[in-house]
Amino acid sequence: MNPTLQTLAVTLGILFTLLHVAAVLIWVERRLLALLQDRLGPNRAGPLGLFIIVADVIKIFTKEDWIPPFADRPLYVIAPAIILLTALVGFTIVPVGPGMVVLDLNIGILFFLAFSSLGIYSTVLAGWASNSKYALIGGLRMAAQMFSYEVFMGLSLMGVVILAGSLNLSEIVEAQRGMWFVLPQFLGFVIFLLAGLAETHRLPFDLPEAESELVAGFHTEYSSMKFGIFFVGEYIGLTLIAAMIVTLFFGGWLGPAWIPAPLVFCFKTFAFILFFILMRAAIPRPRFDQMLSWGWKYLLPLALINLIATGALVLIRAD
Amino acid sequence: MLTELRTRFGADAAVIQDTCDGIPTFWISAGQVPTILRFLKSEASPRFPMLYDLTAIDERVRQDHGDSPSDAFTVVYHLFALEGARELRLKVALPEDVPSVPTATGIWPAANWYEREVWDMFGIRFEGHPNLRRILMPPTWQGHPLRKDHPARATEMGPFSMPEDRHIEEEVALQFRPEEWGMARQSDEADFMFLNIGPQHPGTHGVIRFVLQLDGEEIVDTVPDIGYHHRGAEKMGERQSWHTYIPYTDRVDYLGGVMNNLPYLLAVEQLAGIRVPERAQVIRVMLCELFRISNHLVWYGTYAQDIGQMSPVFYMFNDRERLFGIIEAICGARMHPNWFRIGGVAADLPAGWEKLVRDFLNHMPKVLREYDSMVMGNRILKARTKGIGKYNTEEAVEWGVTGPGLRATGLPWDLRKIRPYSGYEQFEFEVPTAHNGDCYDRGIVRVEEIRQSLRIIRQCLDHMPEGPVKADHPLTTPPPKDGTMHDIETLITHFLSVSWGPVIPAGEASGCVEGTKGLYSYYVTSEKSTIPYRVRIRTASFPAMQFIPPITRGHMIPDLLAIIAATDFVLADIDR
Amino acid sequence: MEGTQYWPFLVYVGAVLVVIVGQLLLSHLLGERHRDRVTGEPYESGIAPTGSARLRFSIKFFLIAILFVIFDLELVFIFAWAIAIHELGWTGFWGAMVFTAILAVGLIYEWRMGSLDWISRRSPAPRETAVRPAP
Repeated sequence: MNPTLQTLAVTLGILFTLLHVAAVLIWVERRLLALLQDRLGPNRAGPLGLFIIVADVIKIFTKEDWIPPFADRPLYVIAPAIILLTALVGFTIVPVGPGMVVLDLNIGILFFLAFSSLGIYSTVLAGWASNSKYALIGGLRMAAQMFSYEVFMGLSLMGVVILAGSLNLSEIVEAQRGMWFVLPQFLGFVIFLLAGLAETHRLPFDLPEAESELVAGFHTEYSSMKFGIFFVGEYIGLTLIAAMIVTLFFGGWLGPAWIPAPLVFCFKTFAFILFFILMRAAIPRPRFDQMLSWGWKYLLPLALINLIATGALVLIRAD
Repeated sequence: MLTELRTRFGADAAVIQDTCDGIPTFWISAGQVPTILRFLKSEASPRFPMLYDLTAIDERVRQDHGDSPSDAFTVVYHLFALEGARELRLKVALPEDVPSVPTATGIWPAANWYEREVWDMFGIRFEGHPNLRRILMPPTWQGHPLRKDHPARATEMGPFSMPEDRHIEEEVALQFRPEEWGMARQSDEADFMFLNIGPQHPGTHGVIRFVLQLDGEEIVDTVPDIGYHHRGAEKMGERQSWHTYIPYTDRVDYLGGVMNNLPYLLAVEQLAGIRVPERAQVIRVMLCELFRISNHLVWYGTYAQDIGQMSPVFYMFNDRERLFGIIEAICGARMHPNWFRIGGVAADLPAGWEKLVRDFLNHMPKVLREYDSMVMGNRILKARTKGIGKYNTEEAVEWGVTGPGLRATGLPWDLRKIRPYSGYEQFEFEVPTAHNGDCYDRGIVRVEEIRQSLRIIRQCLDHMPEGPVKADHPLTTPPPKDGTMHDIETLITHFLSVSWGPVIPAGEASGCVEGTKGLYSYYVTSEKSTIPYRVRIRTASFPAMQFIPPITRGHMIPDLLAIIAATDFVLADIDR
Repeated sequence: MEGTQYWPFLVYVGAVLVVIVGQLLLSHLLGERHRDRVTGEPYESGIAPTGSARLRFSIKFFLIAILFVIFDLELVFIFAWAIAIHELGWTGFWGAMVFTAILAVGLIYEWRMGSLDWISRRSPAPRETAVRPAP
């Protein structure tokens, strides 16, 4: 096949899959939560309730697209676009198979970190632009949460970088042929997992949203597809974090030879998404200041120690 | 007590009144209220450290005043001593034109809301009250609803309409103005944010409103605004027969079901002089404890939910569903069974009830252990609740907090033990306590109470006595029907009692139980008629809610939700 | 990497933009419209708000932001060390150690100063009456 066409197919295929994953996750999460909570979940529309996705999409598109007169209009409209844009673009550096990547950057990790930080603007701007008190508090919480967890999110990945000797994600995956990095970098993995969860602001770290406290937090004043985009963005962000964990710590597409590489990658990623949903069902929400101080007081020093120890070990090995 | 008061305050300081419930009741003069209350609180023996209730009675249309020196209005102070749970009632007669009493807020901070309620309902002024404004009725309301000349039914008033301008007017009236509460709008460094949590908010368990004065996320002060759930349960009592009022009580603490019937019936049965047969008593105890578990399960789930744990509430509602299966089998209804009757219960237990109860008793301990590790053992939940909303025993008593909220401070004060009613003295159970008095300890106490209730229910199951479920007494309602077709006397009594309702002898009595959320009391006044002259409902949620502002200060918004969750209130129990 | 192709990235971003703009436009066209008396008011538990959401906010949030700027900028240097660890060898390692130690001292200082605790003055709250007198 024409290599250009092939690349194009991969590129659009990834995008197409992602958008559908986001839609299907709505159903998966609701059914899975229901299963975990001794209830049924959506089971009426279509087989296994799958058509609920279609119903949801129709519903959300035909809701009133309301822009509050008291809001900061341009920011209000841009905010949801940012979350979807950054989450989707962040995916371009994730290799789903050998050579199957949209953008094979040699600073892949930095690119990912940059885009995941940009995504926070969405929440913060939404909270600010809504000009509503719940939204404002939600936005401020998000900003503080990001400030605190961003610091060591990158740091927790540097152990992997030292081991692989590269920031390129395909090379990092290749470097795991002998052993998945989760074993030597378990601490880094745990820290990255927590930081990643905090960035996707899902329960237990859904403090910017915190239903029982702030009604809906930063998106209190959002309706229609603008609200929907926050939702989709959250799922794609979740998928991105899961994909990054798989790529960096669980050998990416590496797996048994008889399964196609992209499928291996998808299975692993899906497993982590399920894990995130399980977390949501099981764990209560820490208080905002507790979360910040745990980040600064425990996770940041731990990430530093992990880094130094990894560096020392690698150098001792090399000697 | 009387001699102590007379030696201290003069021979005519207190006039004694006979009551059916044996609670010492004295009439004192309005001017002496502060000094006598202060004396009773701190010097008398026994001391009465808790202002349990403060209410009023409109005496203007009463036929028979008996030997009491009453006037147009009576203000009633109801005090509690901790030792032996002794009660004391003080009454003050007030004239019709300008009824006013000196405030008791300087002695008990808890008097604040009670006095506002009496002002709201009766138009009685409390001189020196810091902020005497309406509390249950909307600020735009005309008149004082519990006065006898205020209409009670919609048919006595003009048709209700809510045009646009009226709507706007009400909205403006409900807007919070910090100045009215002595609050500043800004500090030197920042503006305070005034945030409404409620009335329409997912975290408040119903229509209640907290206005928060915030510095960042830190709560500077809180003003609870109640009354959104006010349904006039006390006023309805003055229009219902003694018998037909029972269903209304179910709906006061609407998670407590028949638990609410009991204090009302204890009061009425004292007036009527009915002794309830043993089997009826044990059935009552069993159902009350089942409802205590039901209430605590709802509390348990929402507690976790408010802390942000999503799943437990579903498991606990499933268990509550099992429990409702038993309630439904026995009573035919679920949340509001309206099952107790004057003189007993509505019917005997159905065949096969033992199996249902036994299955439930065997099921619960296992799941409770699971819930312990899932909720109470969770580290994040502990971090969220330990040290939050902390108070000690003195403060709890001072503010009139009873039930688990009091026992979490370390005082094993449970009316079922201290002053048993309805045969509780025959049961073996412990009174769970904790000692930190924070949100976590309030949780621990309730969880342990579920286990103790299970223990009591097992004893009911094993030792259910035989015998009638209704007292053989002419005032039992509906009366026993056996003799109706044999002699005309019984037939007529039955007919009158069912059609008009029983005529309860004149007098007054209060019934008090250890409810699901604390002490519940019904204080009823009869003037030998088919309807009560006055029904006063004292609930546990009202003082607990009044106590929330002082314990939230200095905490953050999520802590407020933790405090609300640990308080275990229902709105109807606050607003009635 | 010499052979990095950028055009698929541009195609991808272009497609993403089309998707986002399409979604926003579609919902704008399909959605209903209504206008009531209070449609244009922010939601605050269904009650008229007191004061707006534009106010001088607590300094604490700003403090966290400043901490972030300081630490995050410094950590960027560690990234460079991590990628070049083999080239720099033990010299680089001890350099990074000194750097990290300085960072740790800064963190400990912030910690001791209490800037990592949100509520510094968590003294027992005053327990006067819930409702204070109107001035």
